[in-house]
Amino acid sequence: MAYNKQDLTEMVSESAVDRRVYIDPDIFELEMKRIWGRAWIYVAHESQIPRPGDFFTTVLARQPVLLVRQDEEHVNLFFNRCAHKGAKVVELESGRASLIRCGYHGWTYRTDGSCHSITGGEQAYASQGLTKSSPCMSLGRVPRVDSYRGFIFASLASDAPQLRAWLGPTATSIDNMVDRSPEGKLEVTGGVLRYHHDSNWKFFIENLNDMMHAMIAHQSSAQTARVIGKRLFPEGTTAPPEIQILAPFAEDKDFFEKMGVHAFDNGHSYSGGKTSIHASYSGIAEYDAAMEKVYGKKRTNEILSLNRHNTIVYPSFTCKGAIQTIRVVKPVAVNETVIESWTLKLVGAPDEMLHRSILYCNLINSSANIVGPDDYEAYHRIQHGLRTEGRRWIANSRYVGAETPNDEGGYSATGSSDMVFRNQYRTWLNYMTGEQAARGERAS
Amino acid sequence: MRAGPTLQALEQYLYREARYIDEKRWDEWAALFADEAEYWVPASRGQPDPKNHVSLIYERSLLRDIRLQRYRHPNAMSLQPQPYSVHLISNVMLDSFDGDSGVCVVNSRFIMLEYRRDEQRTFGGAVTHTLEISDKDWRIRVKKVELVNCDSTLGNIQIYF
Repeated sequence: MAYNKQDLTEMVSESAVDRRVYIDPDIFELEMKRIWGRAWIYVAHESQIPRPGDFFTTVLARQPVLLVRQDEEHVNLFFNRCAHKGAKVVELESGRASLIRCGYHGWTYRTDGSCHSITGGEQAYASQGLTKSSPCMSLGRVPRVDSYRGFIFASLASDAPQLRAWLGPTATSIDNMVDRSPEGKLEVTGGVLRYHHDSNWKFFIENLNDMMHAMIAHQSSAQTARVIGKRLFPEGTTAPPEIQILAPFAEDKDFFEKMGVHAFDNGHSYSGGKTSIHASYSGIAEYDAAMEKVYGKKRTNEILSLNRHNTIVYPSFTCKGAIQTIRVVKPVAVNETVIESWTLKLVGAPDEMLHRSILYCNLINSSANIVGPDDYEAYHRIQHGLRTEGRRWIANSRYVGAETPNDEGGYSATGSSDMVFRNQYRTWLNYMTGEQAARGERAS
Repeated sequence: MRAGPTLQALEQYLYREARYIDEKRWDEWAALFADEAEYWVPASRGQPDPKNHVSLIYERSLLRDIRLQRYRHPNAMSLQPQPYSVHLISNVMLDSFDGDSGVCVVNSRFIMLEYRRDEQRTFGGAVTHTLEISDKDWRIRVKKVELVNCDSTLGNIQIYF
């Protein structure tokens, strides 16, 4: 059905959402236009295209796009579509080229997107008053591209707000990840894991800051890791990273309450801070020394003691600074989503740090891992459970009104509060009904 | 110096290993692996190592133990219902054999049908087994599974290849 503003408004209450936001294909199409077509969407990291001519292809709200480094200063993002017949111009995921050539009729483009040659000559278009310099002969540009500390975002809306302002306090999660490199530099490395989910994109984006599920849904992996870990590595010995990574998922409710959740304008949020499931990893002496040499003891301690769990830059980008991974959301259909996991190397840090991040991704983010499948299964069951017509609402009502303003301009709450979801749906509604960017959680 | 294994003996060994997986005889399957043996499913073609690049699975005994224990856990949501598999193994070739150490490298190809909750999927690829062969027993030191679609977008995989 076609939804008008009032229909949409009635789908989100202060403490619940209508089941159709997850299962109706028409809602999904509207989301692609109004949320994914307006917000800043993560594209890639600058280290993936370090030299002029380097390119990377991806999708932006399902549309194929081509990221190209023109020179030191300029990174261009084009729709990956030949100006001639519309074929995808670049099929490879990444590479390097001085000219971009369409394989169909051989039109070529420069790295600034301008048309370099038209096979058979441009005179064929002279009667239309066109030359190869005519704007319609070049690659189409995505309206807005900007980057924050190496992370490139784009918006399909030409009137998008400034990226830095839009990120709000979640920018500090990116800062912390960058600061963890002794050289202040990150590098995408070690490949990508692409995890197909048969469920709506919002389940993933909600689940990352859902502090109530881990101790239940991940019992079979995390509790098992705990038991085996305790048997093999009794007190007084150091458990290996595998156990240190898996076991905290089975922490009790108090632990997750204490981690806390924090919500901000534009649907953004993070969980953890003073502590998180990453807080008890063993220190790596060589790394600590490299950090202290650059930052000094006090600042190093500040950087490394910031233990955020998941940061969500709504709707597409999530990061874990403490373990240097990002997960990128790519909606495909109302019940189909791809989650990409990328690993970031801390430049100047010992290899052991990268090895731990890689291990983390294998254990948590690979399609064949032992933690994610239970999240996957939960999303699958909600996707199917919501076919129930007799119940319209999904409650987001835990601790309504119990949030308090934080010193970053947002609101904080105990870990098991649904505040983050309420904040996401306030933003959802604002995007969907065309209101101004969402306000942060209000204590009401 | 000892004589190399016959192709038939190798084939029977690989069949047996796969059969343990298909029949979920996990204790017998785990017992085929030497201490600290690796089970590796790379996530990209020609991936040089499992430490500096992500993998679909990279396990030694500790993670293998955890995974196998999880299979038996009553609250493993994604294993209700269970997945089931059938392996077909072919093209078995002995790549190398060291008569002194008893280490032999065997290459094979496989197709695996996997079924769970009304969905059947097909996986396939090349497998390299590094085996330690002695008079007493044969143990797997490395099992490396190179899926033909290793770099594809994949849904949940909850069964060994």
